[in-house]
Amino acid sequence: MHLTLVGLSHKTAPIEIREKLTFPAHVQPQALSALTRTDEIAEAVIVSTCNRTEIYAVAGTEGGTDAVIDFLCEFHDLDRHELARYLYVVEGHAVVKHLFRVVSSLDSMVVGEAQVLHQVKEAYDLSCESGASQRLFHKLFRQSFEVGKRVRTETAIGENAVSISYAAVELAKKVFDTLEGRTILVVGAGKMSELTAKHLVSHGVASVLVANRTYERAVELADKFEGTPIPYDQLFERMREADIVISSTSAPGYVIGKHQVAAVMKGRRSPLFLIDIALPRDVDPQVNDLSGAFVYDIDDLNGVVNSNLEERMREARRAEVIIEEEIASFEAWIESLSVEPTIAAIRTGAEAMRQDELAKAFKRLGGLSEADISTVEMMSHAIVNKMLHAPTAVLKSAATEKDGYQLVEAVRRLYGLDADHETLHRVRGLRALLRRSDPAPKEDEGDTVGC
Amino acid sequence: MRLDVMTMWLSLAAFAGATVLYAYYFLSKRATFSWYASFLTGLGFLCLTASIGLHSSAVEGSRLVGPYSVVLAAWALVLVYFIVEHLIKLKVYGTVLVPAALLALIVAQLMGAGAPVGHLAPGELALLENWRVAVHVVLIVFGNAGFLIGATASAAYLGLEAQLKSHRTSTLFKRLPSLAQTDSIARRAIAFAFPVYTGGLLLGVLYAVETDQAGWWADPRVMMAGVVWVVFASYLYLQYGRGVSGKTAARVALVGAVLVIALAIIARTLPMGFHIFAVAGA
Repeated sequence: MHLTLVGLSHKTAPIEIREKLTFPAHVQPQALSALTRTDEIAEAVIVSTCNRTEIYAVAGTEGGTDAVIDFLCEFHDLDRHELARYLYVVEGHAVVKHLFRVVSSLDSMVVGEAQVLHQVKEAYDLSCESGASQRLFHKLFRQSFEVGKRVRTETAIGENAVSISYAAVELAKKVFDTLEGRTILVVGAGKMSELTAKHLVSHGVASVLVANRTYERAVELADKFEGTPIPYDQLFERMREADIVISSTSAPGYVIGKHQVAAVMKGRRSPLFLIDIALPRDVDPQVNDLSGAFVYDIDDLNGVVNSNLEERMREARRAEVIIEEEIASFEAWIESLSVEPTIAAIRTGAEAMRQDELAKAFKRLGGLSEADISTVEMMSHAIVNKMLHAPTAVLKSAATEKDGYQLVEAVRRLYGLDADHETLHRVRGLRALLRRSDPAPKEDEGDTVGC
Repeated sequence: MRLDVMTMWLSLAAFAGATVLYAYYFLSKRATFSWYASFLTGLGFLCLTASIGLHSSAVEGSRLVGPYSVVLAAWALVLVYFIVEHLIKLKVYGTVLVPAALLALIVAQLMGAGAPVGHLAPGELALLENWRVAVHVVLIVFGNAGFLIGATASAAYLGLEAQLKSHRTSTLFKRLPSLAQTDSIARRAIAFAFPVYTGGLLLGVLYAVETDQAGWWADPRVMMAGVVWVVFASYLYLQYGRGVSGKTAARVALVGAVLVIALAIIARTLPMGFHIFAVAGA
């Protein structure tokens, strides 16, 4: 048995290919059933989003990876040689790392986005419903969700805005704390100002004023937000009511000057936040010198976005450390699985020996009362348990150590367990899950495989 | 070692631990650290309360004067911080206020807070052993704590405002609460502290008049307390009466805080005036 992953993502395949290889939720039960029907695949989860399609599988035989690729081609009726250029294959230990990176959104197009964790959860749920996930995938995927949660709570990877309009919302919140009950004034009825206003309204802005040189366009845009159109010549008079001004006109020069805003700010206690997304700019940069007025143009907002992206990349490095910790924990679990059959075999052997020796002793002694028999049995139990307590504890502890398997093998030789071929096979099979580890796809290029 | 001294050292250790944890919380934003920081701050506060109580029993009633009033100031600062944290759920201020309390305790120790107060003349002792003096000191200490919390929020306001103006965002910018929130905390803390401080001053003045202290108004401490009162009265007038910008109000609050600190230093170092018994060993 070994872990395998076959997939493609935005890093390896253009959208024309990605859209051919999707597995919508309603076809997944059928796909999972077809995949696990063969001897090669024991467990499977299909993660299908707009940026990636990945099949995680526990392969029963060496040909498991080929079986997954064949399945992909057959299910979507695609040419294997054409598809192979875009696919990457990851095996063993690297699958765990890849999954943990995916759920932590380190492998996403926008690092730190929250959607992918939810999408992987849905994929796992579908696999469970179809009976395609068993003990190994239950543990792997549930742990991956914990990893995703840890990364989001212990790092600031998803905290800072990475789009212009969301950066404007974030800055406005830094000024006003909450946008609930605030008033925005939209100057110019362009697409960009509409988009930014939409973001602000979705964060609780109470009323929208719209001013445009063409009054009809102001009415049109105001209707979209249940706002109020205002005549352009009342712009500065009505600006007194506003907390946030979004300006995006096509005027060749400044339409909002320092003296006009100074008049608006006179006797005003709350700040005024001006977002200038026009090119050429609408707001005189000197307005920023006024007390209580904050002006952000498109370059300033871009600067905030770039700084936030850099911050996310720094947080991504912290996330990698968490992922390494969690991989070690998962590997320890796998190792503990390989210890379990050894402990069970030792206990079974000891129990058989105890029963044999008791039978012989009772035969020799003869005529023992019920109470005597019970006492002797209890004593033999206690001796076996006490004898095995220390080796069991040491074996369990060795399971979490790097070279613990050497001790396990020594114990197996000492107790003569390697003659038990079934147990030996199980132990080796579990270790093989992680052994076949090809290098993981690099973040910037992604692995591709030729078949 | 006396129990009051031991609990004092325990509270110092707890506040030092909390300072480190708050700093780590500020940088990493991991909620677990803020929980442990709050726990250690609470533990330190209980130890400090016990220490004050035990000290009071050991010396048959603490004199709320001299370096020991710095210990009380640290205690009041932590108590007011807990109230603020409870009301507005903002742990980030612990990053500044708990180290400030720790610093006050260290300064008090260096000034010999635990040492016996210098001998007082029987007349002075009789003047001090009066409930009005106790209430006067407690009110002034709590008023000062409120002013310092307001000034801390004002400093945060100015830092945030400068970053917003310069279009540069740092870790500090991302960790601090919004401009509106810092302004509101500063305003509320000072609005709470001002009547408390006024009550303390009035009680002191009434007591001085009642006990016929000649030239009490010429005491540098009394005069500076009057200046502090005027500065914070101006702050409240500017905020509520004139509706000035947050930046101007924040600057006034910082001036007031500088005066409070200067007053605390002068009162404990200048061996002159009506409050002469406040100087250690005098």
